[in-house]
Amino acid sequence: MNNNVKKILKKEMRETLRDKKSLLMMLVIPFLIPLVIIGFSAFLDASTNVDVVKYNRIGFNYQLTEEEKIIVKELKIEPTVIEDTKKLKEAYNNDELDLYITKKDNIYTINGVNNETTTHASVLAKSYFEAYKLYLQSNYLENNNINSMEFMNMIVLEENILEEEAFAVTYMLGYTFMFIIMAITVAATYPSTDTTAGEKERGTLETLLTFPIKSRDIIVGKFLNVSLSSIVTGILSLILSLISFVVVNNMFTIYEVDKLQLSLLGLLFAIVVIVTYSFLLSGLCIAIATKSKSFKEAQSSLTPLTMICLFPGLIVNMVDIESNFVTTLIPFLNFTLLFNDIAAGKVNFLYIILMLVSTIIVIVLVFKIIIKQYKSEKVLF
Amino acid sequence: MLKVKNIKKKFIKYNKKNKKEEFYANDGISLEAHDGEILGILGPNGAGKTTLLRIIAGILEPTEGTVEFDNLTYAQNELEIKSNIAYLSGNTKIYKTISAYELLMMCADIYGVKKINAVKRIKEISKSLGMDAFLYNRIEKLSTGQTQKVNIARCLIHNPKYYILDEATSGLDIISSQIILDFIKEERKRGKIILYSTHYMEEAENICDKVIMINKGKIIKTGTPEEIRNLTNTTNLRDAFFSLIGGVSNE
Repeated sequence: MNNNVKKILKKEMRETLRDKKSLLMMLVIPFLIPLVIIGFSAFLDASTNVDVVKYNRIGFNYQLTEEEKIIVKELKIEPTVIEDTKKLKEAYNNDELDLYITKKDNIYTINGVNNETTTHASVLAKSYFEAYKLYLQSNYLENNNINSMEFMNMIVLEENILEEEAFAVTYMLGYTFMFIIMAITVAATYPSTDTTAGEKERGTLETLLTFPIKSRDIIVGKFLNVSLSSIVTGILSLILSLISFVVVNNMFTIYEVDKLQLSLLGLLFAIVVIVTYSFLLSGLCIAIATKSKSFKEAQSSLTPLTMICLFPGLIVNMVDIESNFVTTLIPFLNFTLLFNDIAAGKVNFLYIILMLVSTIIVIVLVFKIIIKQYKSEKVLF
Repeated sequence: MLKVKNIKKKFIKYNKKNKKEEFYANDGISLEAHDGEILGILGPNGAGKTTLLRIIAGILEPTEGTVEFDNLTYAQNELEIKSNIAYLSGNTKIYKTISAYELLMMCADIYGVKKINAVKRIKEISKSLGMDAFLYNRIEKLSTGQTQKVNIARCLIHNPKYYILDEATSGLDIISSQIILDFIKEERKRGKIILYSTHYMEEAENICDKVIMINKGKIIKTGTPEEIRNLTNTTNLRDAFFSLIGGVSNE
């Protein structure tokens, strides 16, 4: 590294480390990530492991048979028999029941309003009817001298659908990477604003330009400082995420089968994506903020860029976009797609190379723009 | 020796109809300053003094013309020239989150002063400017006068040959202003070349060996304060300036 670049980098790093706001921006989101991972995991765990037995207050408008009573007892249903359907409905409306069942001839109807309580209770009610129907069918077959086990198991159906736990892992990893992108974005915008428009506003830029250092070295020093801040934030976010994974794996049942973790290769690729994203974003932030006259103006100018950074993360999961030779060349979209691939455990080495090539091209172009700005008097005014 | 030859600087501004309009902040300015000389650059606000000094300091590039420091131009060796310049202006601020000592060490490092020499030089400067009491305090905690002393110390750290001082006393109280004026006189004794821009004509009259009067980007008169006063039949540079522009300035 050029000696003058080192001098500028040293000066910039000292300023960043002495500035409370810069430090706060670097650290605040990484330390929120564990809370988000634990919170989201708790939510997923709660929604996939609902204890339907809690929603067991079921009303009937008919007297239960002895067989039905046995099933009700086995399924821990709390039955309430009110033969007057109107009164039964009233009891439901008064929240004395989670749902109610009416019977006319051999037609049974599950009644209620589509809310969380009734939905969970209906799962229990359906289990109850499955069991009761099975009992009636077996009984009928046995009465007609037919082996009910043979008859009812003529075919065997097995399920091989992605387990809920694996879905939870992919989902959580995807969100974790989105938060890491967010953390890096916040960490890059503040120091880049401070080192460009901030210096201009404070009047120290003029001092800097009088030093015997080439503009190019000043820019590279500033760029490296912003990039380092972003990389520190990104890597810190990643480390805190990995620690959070260990915590949630032991806390929640959704990670009992498939653990929330990253493979060594996945971790390595994640670091490559974090570092590349930090470099690109730092360059863009400096290019935009350099054009601004004040700190406030620079922050306003950077808002659209922040949106552009986060937008792919939001749309990729809504619209079915996958990484390929074209999409991995598109800046910002490629980072999200590669993070999604890492989350799904299917990273293509070639895509990483394409992302690196496209990012390097953009960074070179951005550097040319910044150098042009510094050579023009506009950098001061 | 400093030679400025036919400097022109064109800027674009927007008129009332929001249309681009070119104008020259400096329009063919030439000057010379010799060793041990204080050259005053005088003129009202907007005359083009700051632009000229920024060009001489290498902060801005001229549209036309050259600046030579002992026959060396920026095109030949920008870094060598900048290593011998100290630029101080009303707009020049210093980093506030660090201490005066850290700032001086940082500047010494940037100017390539060896650490052992830098420590020695900081001690000398601190003593001569009376900075010992606040040398290790953060700049943001210092008073305006103390901050100005640190700013001067920053200019001295690399022992430059050329001082470019643009409205350096503007907005300062008399004590802070005097610190700068004393420093200028001291450096002249050491054979340094000092370009001193101000719109306080009386101040320039007291310390400058030679003055250049600028109005609307052009030199309107060059000479010693005495020569200009005699030529315009006035008793001070202020009246001389108005006499030269033919009445009250329209700036």
